[in-house]
Formats: sequence, structure tokens, C-alpha cells
Amino acid sequence: MNLDPKWVPMKWPCGPLAWARRNKSKSGGAELKETLAAWAQPAALDLLKGTPVNCLVVEWADGAPEDSAQQQALKPLLEAGRRRGINFVGKVAAGEGVAAAVASARATGLSAVMLAEPSGHSFDLPVLLQFPRDKVAWKSATRIFSSTGNEWPGLKLETMQGDTAIAGPTGVPWVNSNAWFSLLADELAPGKTRWLDFDPPEAANVAHPANYALAVADSQAYGSQWIISLDDNLRTALLKGNPQATSVWSKTCETVTFFASHREWEGFQSQGILAVISDFLGDNAFLGGEVLNLLNRRGIQFQVMERSRALSTPTPGLKAILWLDKDAPSADQLANLLAFVRQGGLVIATAYWGPSGVMPKNRDPSLDYKMYNIGQGQIAVSVEGFQDPYQVAVDAHLLVSRRNDLVRLYNPDTTNCHSSLDPIHKRRLVQILNYSSSPVSFVTLWVNTRTRSARLWSPGVSDFLSLPGVPAAPGTEFGLPTIAVNCALEVEGLNS
Amino acid sequence: MTTTRCSRRKFLGAIGATAGVWLARPTTFLGRPAPAGRVAVGMCPEYGPEVISTMATLFDQLGGLEGLVRGKTVAIKLNLTGGAFDRLGYIPAGMTHWVHPEVVGATVHLLAKAGAYRIRLLESPMSTAEPLEEFMLQANWEPRNFLSAASRVEFENTNYLGFGKKYSRFMVPGGGLMFKGYDLNHSYEDCDVFVSLAKLKEHVTAGVTLTMKNCFGITPCTIYGDGSPEDEPGRVPRGGRGPFHDGSRLPAKSAPPLVDLSGSKEGGYRVPRVVADLVAARPVHLAIIDGVHTMTGGEGPWATGRHYVKPGLLIAGTNCVNTDAVGMALMGFDPMADRGTPPFETCDSTLRLAEQLGVGTRDLRQIEVVGTPISKGRFDFRRA
Repeated sequence: MNLDPKWVPMKWPCGPLAWARRNKSKSGGAELKETLAAWAQPAALDLLKGTPVNCLVVEWADGAPEDSAQQQALKPLLEAGRRRGINFVGKVAAGEGVAAAVASARATGLSAVMLAEPSGHSFDLPVLLQFPRDKVAWKSATRIFSSTGNEWPGLKLETMQGDTAIAGPTGVPWVNSNAWFSLLADELAPGKTRWLDFDPPEAANVAHPANYALAVADSQAYGSQWIISLDDNLRTALLKGNPQATSVWSKTCETVTFFASHREWEGFQSQGILAVISDFLGDNAFLGGEVLNLLNRRGIQFQVMERSRALSTPTPGLKAILWLDKDAPSADQLANLLAFVRQGGLVIATAYWGPSGVMPKNRDPSLDYKMYNIGQGQIAVSVEGFQDPYQVAVDAHLLVSRRNDLVRLYNPDTTNCHSSLDPIHKRRLVQILNYSSSPVSFVTLWVNTRTRSARLWSPGVSDFLSLPGVPAAPGTEFGLPTIAVNCALEVEGLNS
Repeated sequence: MTTTRCSRRKFLGAIGATAGVWLARPTTFLGRPAPAGRVAVGMCPEYGPEVISTMATLFDQLGGLEGLVRGKTVAIKLNLTGGAFDRLGYIPAGMTHWVHPEVVGATVHLLAKAGAYRIRLLESPMSTAEPLEEFMLQANWEPRNFLSAASRVEFENTNYLGFGKKYSRFMVPGGGLMFKGYDLNHSYEDCDVFVSLAKLKEHVTAGVTLTMKNCFGITPCTIYGDGSPEDEPGRVPRGGRGPFHDGSRLPAKSAPPLVDLSGSKEGGYRVPRVVADLVAARPVHLAIIDGVHTMTGGEGPWATGRHYVKPGLLIAGTNCVNTDAVGMALMGFDPMADRGTPPFETCDSTLRLAEQLGVGTRDLRQIEVVGTPISKGRFDFRRA
């Protein structure tokens, strides 16, 4: 058995280890203890009937006295699960007992183990490594790897007044999203499957459920998978057949199914007119991550490029390069950068590396950049360097110019979008996500492509809806129906 | 600042020509009658080629633009209120609450044709110092279309210092109703002719927003905004013009002060006075209203009870109060109305205040309406 990218993972907290952890943090009561015991029973797997969830992440060994009891308690669940075609990944804490825990996992029939750090041992069971998000050892990443420390997606709490979103400095509500990390990871660990590990907010309960469907969509739309994680109150309510809890679970599965039935989208490549180049390591990691996050929040479509590999191959459609690091490009890279500029491209950087003797000009008083005209293009050098990621993102968008936007949303409210391209059939996909728990209406999507219609796919609807396009030179507009969580538009044809 | 000069001979001639109506006009704060001029109205059911021909007719009916603009620098304050992404339903902003780009293009073209030396398109986009062209692009406008409509077209975001070295000070004749004067972007001084290009709309706070209320947006938020610094103008605008509405804070101390520190904090009192001050301090030479397609119920999609409507009207005049009075009448309102009467249910009339400042009369009996008669062009906003 190998790690299978088609696994759809879900956290399945149950048994003595889960209880010991909650008891230790004094977050559990008698009802929760019952819930954790019940979820260890094979009957609990009925919850997964008809859903794409086919891989459960269970706590296997924590270096705690309860480890043995945990492994014993899970046996019936594992056997029943295997009969239903469900895979199990056992979470094993770092420590001296790793080898024994993995051996036990193999003997009990687990499909893989999830380790918090690389082990010196070689195991005859697939290993899935899990890293804190800011310390991913990209080169050591396993075929499937997981990250912790992710954000629960949605409107940032500080920007809420009751149920109303307050605008951020950009005029759009401030949202939390893991999109940037997914795009970064896609570049730094290409071809690997990412499982994002994050849990619902502690305040979540059945009356005010967390936006699970959004957690799925914010991960999947950007090529990652969320390890589905339900809050304890919801899991207790599900056991009792609470209709509200059942509805929440059903909506979550609807979104999981939506992406599972469009696996071809996983092969689409992110579209971007702006390349963001950095090594994203050490001192460059924070600025790089924040700039990606803020560019995405502004709706700018970008490509992430790891510095050492950047510019080694042609990148058609690229209008600008944002060179984030203070480190100068290598000689080869500089030659490619200058060639890009001479052909009309824009390079945005903190230092000037172009030919000597070129006198800079100011472009606009609102932009604190010196502009060097070289060939048909320009190098824009920040006068004060890249200090504030927000300002870097704003300036980059203006320097590149909205004339080059690939997509725009009107009445975006709490939505954002991601554009990708089918490299084979040249189909374009724009996924739209709503980060509020309230539906949004009258959102218009503009794409810079001339087309008569597009296919609108929505969760819970098996077939697409043909959406007529309205010409809006130089592209096309689509009036979107009310968006609860997410939808996707397949647009035929490339840029005109 | 350039001011319009008037010879003694012309002045006496004008007095002679209008003596009859002058005597009947209300007394202004400055002790002279509020000017009355000609306002041209044209029907234009749709945006398209007919916009330019209709506007050309309007300008001809006003006596032609040549005398006003030949060899001059013309500044046009556009009405692009709110964010560039805001829409009423799915409808682009130019069809509802922004002046339509075809009206902008036609105006630029006709001004250039009349001999304008340079044309500057101005607006203070919400909460940003970004170039005006980028703001337009965000709304899917193509600024190059305006560049190609005349030989010297420039853009400036006037929500901050912009291309200027310092802010220009405009004192309100007579001392002002709300502020003694206003500090504005240099573009409002560095022009010979000032055009207010507005939309035919109601306004939640001020009753209507036409060519006068459009000038509310000439104020830079670096000085008058929610987040402006206490002493000096900010480098970039922060927030909107909330303090003008509610008096929640004073402008940066570098700007001319309030007339009355203990004055009302009510938006319906303050906003009309600020607007009247502004058009008195920075006179409008050409007032144009785009009422081809628009919206009812307020100035933008955020207003409640709004509807997309097609009055099919274009209006132009050389006096902003006169022009707005005709605009109001075409909307089905009485321009002589004041607080408590539609559309001024909760505010004072900007028209009355501006009239009292001597900017122009709102009395239709004294305004010469040419082209489409009001009775024929009227589109009742409250019944639409």
C-alpha cells in the first residue's frame, strides 16, 4: 500500500487517547467521553456512507500510557472500516517509541502513519510527514504531506461587528485563508499532495456551526485537501441524529463531493500575470508569505516561483516579476530578467540591476518607485525597500496595472476567486469562494476572455448551468447566482 | 486661481437686460441677485452615438463652447462615487450611479473640438491615492478612450496632493456657511475652466446629487477624511468624508477653520452647506448632467429602495444652481422646495444655500430652458 493522493482524509478523534487529551486540558465532560467512545465503534462509520471520505486519521501513539488501550480500542473500528474500503492513517507522536508504534500500526492494518518529524528509521509502512506551516522541510516532504498552523478560513473576527463585516484598508472585508500557502506549497513541493490540518474555532457549536464547507473549498480550490475536522459538539449532536448537525454534515459532504467529482481540476495550473520570486526561507519567509496572502486577497492572479528555479523556462503570459528578496539574481537569471524587460516586461525589485547609465523617472506621485526604462519594458525600484507587505501588494498591483487583470469580481462583498488553466484543453477555470457564512448575491465575474457562455458548477447540483456571457470589452461578464460557499466557472477559449 | 473678469460695459449691459427679473429675485448674503442663465435639455434614450450629437446640440444651444474654452485648460470633475467594484445588481456603475464613460468621452471630444488646450479629468476615488486611470480600469473603463478623444488629456486623483507641490486654498466669498475656506488639490486652481460632470440622482443625505453635490468630492480626504492627521494633511487618504457629514472630527489644522464650532452635527444640515460653500469658492463654469440611464432612491447601490431607471436625459448649463434646478424639475421635484419637502425631507436645500451665496438662482421662472421643455422631459423619480 502506498500513499494515495485520492484519499479524502478526515480526523476521527476517538478512544482513550482522545479522551486523555481532552481530560488533561479539562475540555471534556461525561457526554464527550461517551461521544469519543461511540466514535470508536464501527457503527459510527455509518456517517461516511455515501460520502467521498475514504481515509480516517486516528490517533495511534502519543507516547502516553493510554497508547496500548487506544490501539486495542480501535481494532473493531479498523476492521469494519477496511471492509468498507476505508483507509486509516495513524498519528504517531515523535519519541523513542516510534518504531514500535509503526510496527503495531502495520500489524493492525493501518495504511500509513503520520509522523511529526522525519525519523532515522526505515519503515515498511508508508509514512506521511506533518510539519508546522512555517517550518516545512520542502525537500523532505512525503508524497502526501501535512501542515499544521493553518488558519480557519473566513472573515477575520476583528473585522466583524455582529454579523456585519467591516472593511479592511482595501475596502474589502479582511478574510483568513490558506490559499497563499497552498499556492506556495504547490511551487515548493511540486507534485506532492497537501493535507491541511486545522480545527474549527472553539466557539463553534451546533447552533452556530463553523463553516466546514468553506474549510473544504478554501483548501481544494487552491489544490490542497483539508483533513476534515468536526468540533466535539457537532460530533455529539450527529450521534444523536440532531437535524441541524446532520444538515451541517450534509453540506460539508456536498462540498467534498463537489471537488471529488471534478478531480480533473487538480491538474489545472494557476494562472498569473505576476510572478512572485523568493526563496521563501529564513528572513524572506515572512515577507514572502504575507505578500502572497495580500496579493491573493486583492484578487491579483499570480504565480509563485522559487528563486533558484525561477526563470529557467519561458513563462508565457507573464507581464511582471516581483523579485522580493534583497539577494541579487544569479548571472543567468539577470540575463533572463533583462531579456524579459527588454521585451516589454516589468520587474519590481528593491535594487536596480540593469545596465548602467539609465536615468530613473518617477511614474506617479502615489507610487514611491524609481522607474528605469529599458528596451520596451521597465524596472521599478522601491525607494524605501519592501517593508510593509500590504504596501508591496498594493504597489505591485498598480505597477502591473489593472489593465492586465485576468479576472475581476464586481460586488465582491466577501468573495474571492482563483483562475487556473487546463494546460491540455485550454479550458479556463475560475473558482469563486464566499468567506462569509451568509450567502452573497449579485456578484459579477469579469474574465479577460471573449466568450459567449460558461459552465457554472455548484455544490449539490450534479449538472452544470450554462451561463450566458455579456460582452464587456476586452472580456466578458457573467452575473453569478447567489453563492452560498463556492462555485466554479469553466470558460472555453483563451485570451482574445 | 483664475476668476472671470467682467468689464463695466458688460456689467451694465447685463443689468439692463435682466433688470426686470433681478428686482424679483431673493436677496443673497452678498447683497446681489443670484445669476440666472440658460440651461439646455436634450432627450437621449440610450448611450451610443446619439450621446455626442445630443451633447453637441446642448452646447450649441448654450451659445457654443468656443468662447469658454478655446486655448484654455479645462478641468472636469467626474462623478465616480463609491468603490469601482460597486454595482446596483449586475449593472455596470456607468449605467446607474457613475457618469457614463460615453458622456465623459463625448464631453472631452466636444471640448477639444471647441479649442480647449488641455483637458484634465479629475476625481477623488474612495479611500485611495492610486492613479485615476487605475481606478477607472478597475471598473472596466478604458482610459485610453479618453486620451484618444482629444490631444492633451490628463488624469489626476484629487483625493490627495497628487502632482502638486502644495494644496490650493479656496476661500468662500462672504465667509462661508460651514468652513471659511477649503484646501484642495492643485488641479482645481490650475485650470481656466471648471466643469462639473454629474449624474441625475437622488441623495440619501442631501436630497439630490447633481452638478453641485458632485463637487463634494473635490475635497481631499488627506485633509477632510476620517483618518486624516490632526495637524497636517496625510500623505494618502484614509477613509471617507464622514467628518463632513457628522462633525465627528475637524479637518487637519492646516486647513481653514469651521465657521461655527458649536454648529449642528446633522448630515442634512452640514453636507448641503459644505457643498454650497464649495461651489461658491470654486465656481463651476459648465455644469453637465448625465440622466440617460441612472438610479432612483439614492446616490449609489448602497442606498435603500433603489431602482435602475432610464430617464433618457442630458442637461447642460453654465450655472450650476440653474442647471441643478432644471435637473430637479426634470426629476419631478420642485427646485424651490426646502427642508421637509421632497427630496429634502431630512435636509436643507443645497440649491437655496447656494442661491443665498449668490452662486445662481433656483427659480425656474428666471432660468431660460432651451431644447426639450421640462414638461416633456420630466421623469418622476418618486414614481419610477
